[in-house]
This record gives sequence, structure tokens and C-alpha cells, in this order.
Amino acid sequence: MADAPKTAAAPEGTDGQGTDRRLVAKHGRLVVAGLLAEFPSAETLKAAAARVRDEGFTRWDVHSPFPIHGIEQAMGIRPTPLPWLVLAAGIAGGVAAIAMQWWMNAVAYPLVISGKPFFSLPANIPVVFELVVLFAALAAFGGAMALSRLPQFSHFVFRASAFGRVTTDGFFISIEAADAKFDESATRELMESLGARGVEICRESTGGRHLPKALTWGLVVVGALALLPPLGIAAARHRKSEKPRLHPIQDMDFQPKYKAQAHSALFPDGRAMRPPVPGTIAVGNLNADAHYYLGYRLKQGTGDRGQGTEAKGQTEDDREYFTTFPPQVEAKMRELMDRGQGRFNIYCAPCHGLVGEGDGMTSVRALERRDPEWQVPTSLHKPAVRGQPVGRLFNTITHGLGKMPSYAAQIPVEDRWAIVLYVRALERSQNAGSEDVPEDIRPQLR
Amino acid sequence: MQASASSHPAGERTTLEGLPPRVALVLAAMGLGGLAVGFGLGLAQGDALRSFFRSYLANYCYFLSISLGALFFVTLGHATRAGWSVTTRRLAELVAANVPCLAILFLPILVTVLSGSGSLYSWNGSSAGSEDLLRHKTAYYLNPGFFAVRAVFYFAVWGWMARFFLLRSTEQDASADPALTQRMERFSPAALVLFAFTVTFASFDWLMSLEPAWFSTIFGVYYFSGATVGFLAAIILLAMLLQATGRLTSSITVEHYHDLAKLLFALVVFWGYIAFSQYMLIWYANIPEETSWYLVRQSGSWKWVSVVLLFGHLLIPFFGLLPREAKRRKAILGFWAGWLLVAHWLDLYWLVVPSLEAAGLRLGLIDAGCLVGIGGVYFAGVLWTAGTRPLVPLGDPRLEESLAFENS
Amino acid sequence: MSTPDLPADDNTANDPTRRAPLVIGRQDYASVTETVAKVAERRTCSPLWYGAFLVSSALTGVFFLLIGYLIVTGVGVWGNNIPAAWAFDIVNFVFWIGIGHAGTLISAILFLFRQKWRTSINRFAEAMTVFAVACAGIFPAIHIGRVWVVYWLAPYPNQMQIWPNFRSPLLWDVFAVSTYATVSVMFWYLGMIPDLATLRDRAGTKLRRLAYGAFALGWRGSARQWHVYERAYLFLAALATPLVLSVHSVVSFDFAVSQVPGWHTTIFPPYFVVGAIFSGFAMVIMLMVPAREFFGLKNLVTARHLENMNKILLATSCIIGYSYVMELFIAWYSGNPYERFAFMNRAFGPYAPAYWTMITCNVVVPQLMWIKKCRVTPWIMFVVAVLVNVGMWLERFVIIVSSLSRDFLPSSWGLFVPTKIDVLMLMGSFGMFFTLFLLFCRFLPIVAMAEVKQVLPHGEG
Repeated sequence: MADAPKTAAAPEGTDGQGTDRRLVAKHGRLVVAGLLAEFPSAETLKAAAARVRDEGFTRWDVHSPFPIHGIEQAMGIRPTPLPWLVLAAGIAGGVAAIAMQWWMNAVAYPLVISGKPFFSLPANIPVVFELVVLFAALAAFGGAMALSRLPQFSHFVFRASAFGRVTTDGFFISIEAADAKFDESATRELMESLGARGVEICRESTGGRHLPKALTWGLVVVGALALLPPLGIAAARHRKSEKPRLHPIQDMDFQPKYKAQAHSALFPDGRAMRPPVPGTIAVGNLNADAHYYLGYRLKQGTGDRGQGTEAKGQTEDDREYFTTFPPQVEAKMRELMDRGQGRFNIYCAPCHGLVGEGDGMTSVRALERRDPEWQVPTSLHKPAVRGQPVGRLFNTITHGLGKMPSYAAQIPVEDRWAIVLYVRALERSQNAGSEDVPEDIRPQLR
Repeated sequence: MQASASSHPAGERTTLEGLPPRVALVLAAMGLGGLAVGFGLGLAQGDALRSFFRSYLANYCYFLSISLGALFFVTLGHATRAGWSVTTRRLAELVAANVPCLAILFLPILVTVLSGSGSLYSWNGSSAGSEDLLRHKTAYYLNPGFFAVRAVFYFAVWGWMARFFLLRSTEQDASADPALTQRMERFSPAALVLFAFTVTFASFDWLMSLEPAWFSTIFGVYYFSGATVGFLAAIILLAMLLQATGRLTSSITVEHYHDLAKLLFALVVFWGYIAFSQYMLIWYANIPEETSWYLVRQSGSWKWVSVVLLFGHLLIPFFGLLPREAKRRKAILGFWAGWLLVAHWLDLYWLVVPSLEAAGLRLGLIDAGCLVGIGGVYFAGVLWTAGTRPLVPLGDPRLEESLAFENS
Repeated sequence: MSTPDLPADDNTANDPTRRAPLVIGRQDYASVTETVAKVAERRTCSPLWYGAFLVSSALTGVFFLLIGYLIVTGVGVWGNNIPAAWAFDIVNFVFWIGIGHAGTLISAILFLFRQKWRTSINRFAEAMTVFAVACAGIFPAIHIGRVWVVYWLAPYPNQMQIWPNFRSPLLWDVFAVSTYATVSVMFWYLGMIPDLATLRDRAGTKLRRLAYGAFALGWRGSARQWHVYERAYLFLAALATPLVLSVHSVVSFDFAVSQVPGWHTTIFPPYFVVGAIFSGFAMVIMLMVPAREFFGLKNLVTARHLENMNKILLATSCIIGYSYVMELFIAWYSGNPYERFAFMNRAFGPYAPAYWTMITCNVVVPQLMWIKKCRVTPWIMFVVAVLVNVGMWLERFVIIVSSLSRDFLPSSWGLFVPTKIDVLMLMGSFGMFFTLFLLFCRFLPIVAMAEVKQVLPHGEG
């Protein structure tokens, strides 16, 4: 145990000589490191300290279980510079806190927080205060450690057997051998004359102080291990990988919810995404006004085949087409007629022709090309067409017929009625009698 | 063990004997003269004495706070069985016992409130209480009758407490009976409770009600914190003044000044803490019924007064009183004590006048008149209270401890 | 002059002509050391210690298990909900931080006021502070929901390029509590260094010598080291004093900066600080009364020490009472209907039992301390201290939950009901506190020996 650097009064042996023998065996020669004198009380210690100071010793110290009032004057200790360190650190803390808050909240990332100014001094004061205290306290503690040269586990006074009492009720003066005025016997006499009740010479090995091997190796190992994470990070930052990155903070990225195309075991059809309930009508598609929106109504007794998705079940026989225009259309016939002409010329004329005879340009061209798939568009003046109810014409525009596609997407409902109106007008124009000619123009006919 | 007067340093002048009676008369004359000037100029303003009364109230509350701070110092010293402060305690007792003088000086305020003139408090005039918001207040609390009853109560409590401590302490000068100390110690905790409530409600009545729609639960503490600062600054200067006239030269040592200065420093920080708490919370929540009080104080020239108050009452004296040497050298400490007396006056002025004169700072002769006026009468009162009493509690069992006191 | 000999075991006399001795039973330096050190040097503990430790560690285990459960499952395991989004979590946080403040007060503030009687209890109280702050800090960390990103509260450079919001009192809390924890630990440790050296020098086994020696840093009682030590101690005390004021003020800002009725009131900062000191002292008394019995410290922690602590308890209770009166008066005076309702609700609403228990425990019961007999009788002060702790927990509960559950809009009102997890975690936090405390009593110097030696009656030793 002799090499344990924290040796104080060895409880198992007060044999200084035995200790010395083991030290010599391990480390080689011993030299006198200093002297330790024990005093009976704090008062005698203080008086002795004053004398030691007066004698001109410089490398010496006083040891006690508690700070003795007035010992600094007796020893001539200069006041510590610790207050300045604390003040400087406190000021640094305050400046750092203000700068940090100003930069972070007013410059780098200004967030609007209930309209408060980005740099709100009243709101910033608490953190300023805390950092002033923190920096100052760290300086006080760290400064105290540094100025006291702690930790210092090895010191010659620990070799003295009596020194173990220093923390209980022992009062000591220690003088280093390195002091110019130190002399083993003269100094010992001085101490005894000042009232010391025990003087011990302390020896240290010449080899100096080393960290115990175990500690050194421990520090090396820990240091090496501590280097691994930063090296790993440095390596990772310069390498590429084809794997997706590690995603430790998953937040709500993976949620126990079903997505559109997922499988679900809950339903017999296995679909997580459920079709709408039969009879569902999209908003805006109720089309309750059958006359206006459909042009037909279902005959009585055809059952409730509904609209929307269920309309597929209907057949022509189920329907009763309206023969009159809906009231909304009748209310603005003149206006819609012109509109209908315009719309017809845009949408219908390419196939049915401007007059409605089925000789539109697409048809002409298709016949020129002898397109084998081509079906000549119906002439709108055929008696069959002329005999159709207006609702049926409307329905044809809405759903298409044969080769004609549905125009519901391009032509809104009102426009469809306008076209139907114009088609009726066209039909009448090609099948008119003299009585259809206005009175005032009739004389001009021959 | 009987503490004897022989524990007190021999040969030291401990009373005001030798002080020409002229001094008190001059002070009283200055006081009355100042008040007359202030009152006269106030009448000349033609604003129903508004300018006069706001200045009067600010200065009155200033000198009141010094006596209240003194009363706290005495009571707390007994409650904590303080040893170091014994030699300065008599001075504090005398300042605290100036209550009769303060009660008389309060009469103008009382008269104006009872007369319903509305020169000072807006809840007091003929148009008062018409707003819904204030009706309950004026019905039950802010009406002249209850106001007067409370004021009488406050002065009764303060007067009785201060007299109790002064008389027991003076009795002890002669008898050196430790049982008197025990009596004072036993009474002091209850006295502190009474003190807290009376000072708080006095500050509500006389200062917070200047803006009847405004309120702050910490207001009483704010006034109290300023009062302690004002008192400590005053007693430091008072002690220095007495020592300059050759009295108490051995009783009050540099160690006592050091401790008084440490307390002063701590209380300056405490004042800053209370002031900041009140301000920041109101600023942060930004509720108009509360911010109105501060809004006035950060508009126009009042803004500069607020800034001066922040620096003058907190930031500068903080660094000024921080070094150990500043607390132990009379010249430096005296400077800061004087500085803080001025700062405390500014604090009271800032508490009172912006609520009554939102336009801005208008220091004038009326303010000077009231300051000199109330101050003169106040200090005359202190001198009269002191009379021929010893300025040190000669019979206090802890006097020896106080005289030997040393800061580490 | 001669002083009559007081009985060696009673220092509660109120004789103004002499200062009561702070250590009784004719102690000298060696006996003081022996009294304190032997507590840490026992090879085996009493069954009582083991029993208490078993219970408290079990509770601690429950606590950490529940924390794990909370983190995995979510904050919904608590009873928190809109509108009472803060409940037990924040009540516990404020409660524990408050308890910590007494330690700093005893250590730092009483030191600055040269109250020498603090030397027998300051180590104990400082340890209590450190452990209370540890318990306290857990709650805000786990109540945020995504505990795994709690480090976002710190201002560190990050690739998201965002910074914390310094205008929020919740962030001021982060800085305040971290600073408080750091400074408390430093102060506690600095004070312990000389006493750890004492234990090192008396150590019987190599392990103990190495362990105590490592933490004693090679302390050798050098006067030069004492000089620096004393200055550092003074600075830490001088810094810890405003710090303790500021920490609980910042905690009070969490509430006072809001506009919630019953929360937004300017007296909160000093009121909370005094409340913290109040509850902390109650905890110290509660711990000290049994500890001085079981560890044989009655000569060092004397009846006078207990009496002084009870006086502070009484004083702070009166200040709390004052604050309650202020709140009530100003609520009436302001005419603000929401503010008035908030206080009527506290007294007569759904949480009225909590309110009246709080008033009884905080204001009424401590008034017993006007009576000298109560101040010096251990079992009475123990009961009072327990009740004060209950009352102070309830105070935070009343403030937080009653105001949140019923604020401006009646359609938004909602009742908070605690879940089993809430209650178990509160108990678990006590378990953690007592576990740490029992370990402290077992292994560390529980009285500041070096400081007590300085206040021994003159001429001893």
C-alpha cells in the first residue's frame, strides 16, 4: 500500500521507518521533503505562524481542521485574486447571454411570438441573470480548485503519521525542505521553541510523483474509447452509402392507419379503401330536378333504381322523356337560343354539320379517307330525330349515342338545353311551311 | 449578568446636548416656509391646488417611507436578536418614532380628501364613481370616510409600535434590565405582521389609488422595498453627520457602516427585483387595464425619468456598492447613500406624479417648496423626538457585542 | 465577567445577555468529528435504514418504470387534458423545486446573515436541495411529449437552423433550473471537501480511503487553501442567494406572464419564493426530526436549531397568508369579474376541499408555532411539517388546476381527474428523493463538521 499516493496516517502502521523501507525498495533513494510540527491549539498555532512568517520562511503552510480566524494576517497571505475571476466571469456571462438571445431570436431565426419585439429586453433578463450567476459560480468553484491547486493527491505531509488528525482536531505547521531557511535540526528546534508538541521529518522518493500505473492505463483506455465516436462521425461524413439513413426519431412517421391501396383483412374484398355506399351521390350531383338535369323521369313501378351508380341498371323502357323544356329554360328562351347556336356550332357542327344534316367536316374527311370504322352522323332532320322528345335529345348529349361520345364534361346542363333548343329551331327551319314565314316577309316569297 | 454603561466607550458624546436649539427651529422655519411657498405657488396655478397636492403627496410619501423603513429595521432587529445593529438602533428608533409629526403632515391630504375636492384623487371628486368599473371601489373602499378611518388606524398602529420600542429601549438605558429586551423581542413578530398589512394598505390607499382603475398585488412590497433603501441610505448619512459633529465617534465603527452598506446593497437589488417583477409581468401579458399605468411612464419625458430611475436606482449603485472598499470608506459610502436618497425620491415622484400629470416631467418651485417644506418639518420632528435621549441604547445587553463587532 | 452555567443539554433559553450555545453536551473537536463520522462509518446499517431503503427503492423502481411507460405510450396516461393541460406534472415540478430552496436558504442566505446556527443543518439541507432538484427536473423533461427531442430546448447549432424561443418563461425555466442544479451541486460539494477528507483520514478500508480520498481531492487543511475556499464559499453563497430568488421567480413567471385569471398577478415571484422556503423548511424539519434521533445528532442539531427553523416556518407562513390576502383583496378591488370568479371558484368550486385543506395546512396550522412549547417539541413540529408539505403541494395544485379548469369561457370548462399513473409517479418521486437521501445519510458526512467546529463555544478543543 505504500505506493498509494493518497496515503495519510496509515491506520495499519504508524511505522514511518517501515514505510520508508518499502518506499526505498520501490522507488529508490529518499530525500527529506519537509517538516511537520503539531501544535496543541489554534491560538498557539496562530502565534507560531506569525513567528515563522517573521523568521522569513516562504515555502511553508499551516494546516487545521477549520479555517482559523486571523490566520491570513499571521501568515502574511496575500488576498486571493478569485474575486476578479468571478467578476470577469459574471460579466462575460451577462454579455454572452444578451448576445446569444439577440442573435438567436432577432437575427438568425426571428419568430413572431405574440407580437413581442424580436429583441425583447424585459423577456431576456431572466436568462441573462441566470447565465451571469452560472458563469460566476463556475469561476468561483473552478477558480478555487485551480488557485488551491486541487486535486493534489500527493504531498509530503501525508507521509507523516500524525497528519491524519488534521481533519479532526490537529493543528500543524509544515515547512518545505526547498525553503531557503530550512535546516533539519535548526528548524526543528525553532518549532519546539514555539510550542510544538511533536515534530516529524517527512521524506519523499527522488523519483518524483507519478500517477499510479492503473490510473494511467485507465485514462489511456478511456481516452481511446472516447475518440471513437468523433472518428466515427468524421468517417461517416466523408463516406457515401446506398442504404437509407438511420431514422431514430420516428415521431409520427409510421402510423397505424390504412393508406389508399393497402390490403385489409377486415373486409371480404380485402380492400382497405372502401367504395362509397350504394346510392352515394357526390356533393353537387343530387340533381333532384330530373326534368332539368336528366331530361327524363323513371316510369312508375320501375322500382327505385336511384341515380348515380345505380343508374346503370336502367333501360330505355324505364324512362319517360320529357317533351317540354324545363321552366328554367323556358324563362330565358331568346337568350338561350343564341347561346345554343353558338354552342352547336362549336360542339355539334364538326360532325353533324352547320345545318344538322350529318355532313360535318369530320364526316366529310372520314368518308374521303374511306375510314372503314366511320359511321355517318345522324341527320337531325330525319323524322325519327324530329319526333324525339326534347328530353331525349338532352339525354343523347349527356350520355352519347353509338359513336357519339358523352359531352357532359364539356357542355354544362344549361348549355345542353340551349343546344336542344337550337336543334329544334334547325329542324323547323329545314321543314318549314309558308305559314312559318313571318307575315311581313311572306309577300317576298314567290 | 447586568450590562453596565461602563461597557460603552467612555468619553463619547452620546446625546444631542450641545446642539443649539436654533437648529431645530431653523429646520421647522424652513419647513413651514417651504410649505408656504409651495402652497402659495400652488394657489397661483389656479388648478384647484392639483400641482401643489401631487408634489405634496410625493414628498410626503418619501419622508414617510424613511420612517417606515426605520420602524422595520428596529422591529426586525428585535425579531432576529441582531447583535451588530444595536449601536445604530436608537437612531432608527428616533426616526421611526417621528409618527406624530408625520400624522400632522398628513392632515392636508386628509382634509382635501374629506372635502371631496378631487384635487388629488380622481375617485374623490364630484364625478367620482360614475364609471361602472369604479363603483364598487368607491362604494366600499375608496370613499372619504373609510379612507380617513384607515389613515387614522395606520398612524395609530405605527405610532404605538414606534413608541413602544423607543420607550422600552429608553427605559433600558437607565435600568439595563434584560427583561425589557425580552418584551421587545416577544412583541416584534406580531409587530412585523401588523407592519406588513398597514404599510401595504397605506400604499394602496395613498399611492395606488391615484389611478383607481389600476392594481398590482405586489405594490405594497414595492413601496416597502423602496422604504428600506431610503431608510438605510438616510441612517448612513445621519450617522456620518452625527459623527462629524463629534458624537457617537466610537460607537459606530467602520464595521457597522460595512454591514449597513451590505444591507443597502442587498436591498437595492431587492428593489430592482420587485420593480422588475411588476414591470415584466404587466409588459408580458400586455393587458390594457394594467399596462395603462406603465404606458404613461414610458411616454414623453416620463420615459427619460424611467430610464434614469433604472440606472440611478439599480444599475449604477449596484456596481458602486459592490466593492468591499466602497462599503468601508466613509467618503465613498456617503456618496452612494446620498445618491440613493436622491434616487429614492425620484422613485416616489415617479410613482405619484405621472398618474396625475401625464404630459411629462415638470419640476418646479412647488416641488422644491414641498421637498424643503416637508423635509424641514420632518427633521425638526426627529430632533424634537430625540430631545436629550442618548443616541445609543446604553442599557442594551448586546451593546458590548455590537461595539466589538467585526466583519470577517 | 462570569456567566452562569446553563444546563449542558438545553440551549433554548431566551436570555438576551448571552448568546445560546449552538453545540451542547460539552463537545470538542474530536467528539464532533466522532458523532458525525461514525454515521457514515458504520459497517452495517440498522434494520430501520434497510427497511426504509427497501421501500424507497421500490418506489423509485416504480417511478422509472412508469416514466418508461409514459414515454412509450404518451402523455395521455396522465389525467391532463384540455383545459387542464398542466396538472400533477407541473405541480410536482414546482413542489420539488420549492423544497430545494430551503437548502440553499439555509446554506447561502443564513450564511450571509451570519446565522451561525446553520452549521449543524446546512449539509443536510444542501443534500436535500440537490436531490429535490433532481426529482424536480424529471417532470418538465417528461411532460413535453416527445421526450427524445428534449435537447431541442438547448441553444445548439443545428441543421434545422432553428433556435429556442427566449421570450418564453418555459425556456427561462430550462436555464434557471439547470443553473440552480449546477450551482447547488458545486456548493454542496465544495462544502463537503474538508469533511470528505475527514472521512478519508479515518477510513478503515482501502476502498473507503480511495473513494473518499478521490472526492476529497487531496485536501490537507492548508491555510492557503482555506483562504481560497472561504472566498469561494462566500461567492457561491452570495451568488446562490439571488439565484434561489430568481429560480422560483422564473418558475412563478410560468404562470404569472399568462393572462389566466388567478395566475396573472404581480405578487407571484416573491410569493412563490417565500412559499418555496416555507415548504422546504417543512421538509428539512420533517427529515431532521427523525434523523437526529436515529443518527444521534441531538447535541449538534439541538432544540434551538429546531426552534429557529420553526420560527422561519412561522414567518414564511405569515407571508404566505399575507399573499393570499393580497390576491383576494386585489381580486375584489380590481373589479375584474374573471379574477373574482377565479377566487370564488377556488373556495367554492369543484376543488374547494383542496383549497380549504391548503388554507388550514399553510396558514392556520403553523400558527401553533407562536407557542414556545410547540417550537421545541419534536413530534409536534414533525406533524406540522408534514401538514405544511401537504398544504404546499395542494397550493400548487389549487393554483394550477382550479385556474385552468375554469377560465374565461364556460363552454371550455373541464374537470381534471388524476389517473393512477399521476398518483403513482408522485409517490415514486418521493421514493427517488428518499432513496438518494438515505444513501447520503449512509455514505456521506451529514453534518458540516468543519463548520460546526468553528462555532463551538470558545476554548474547546
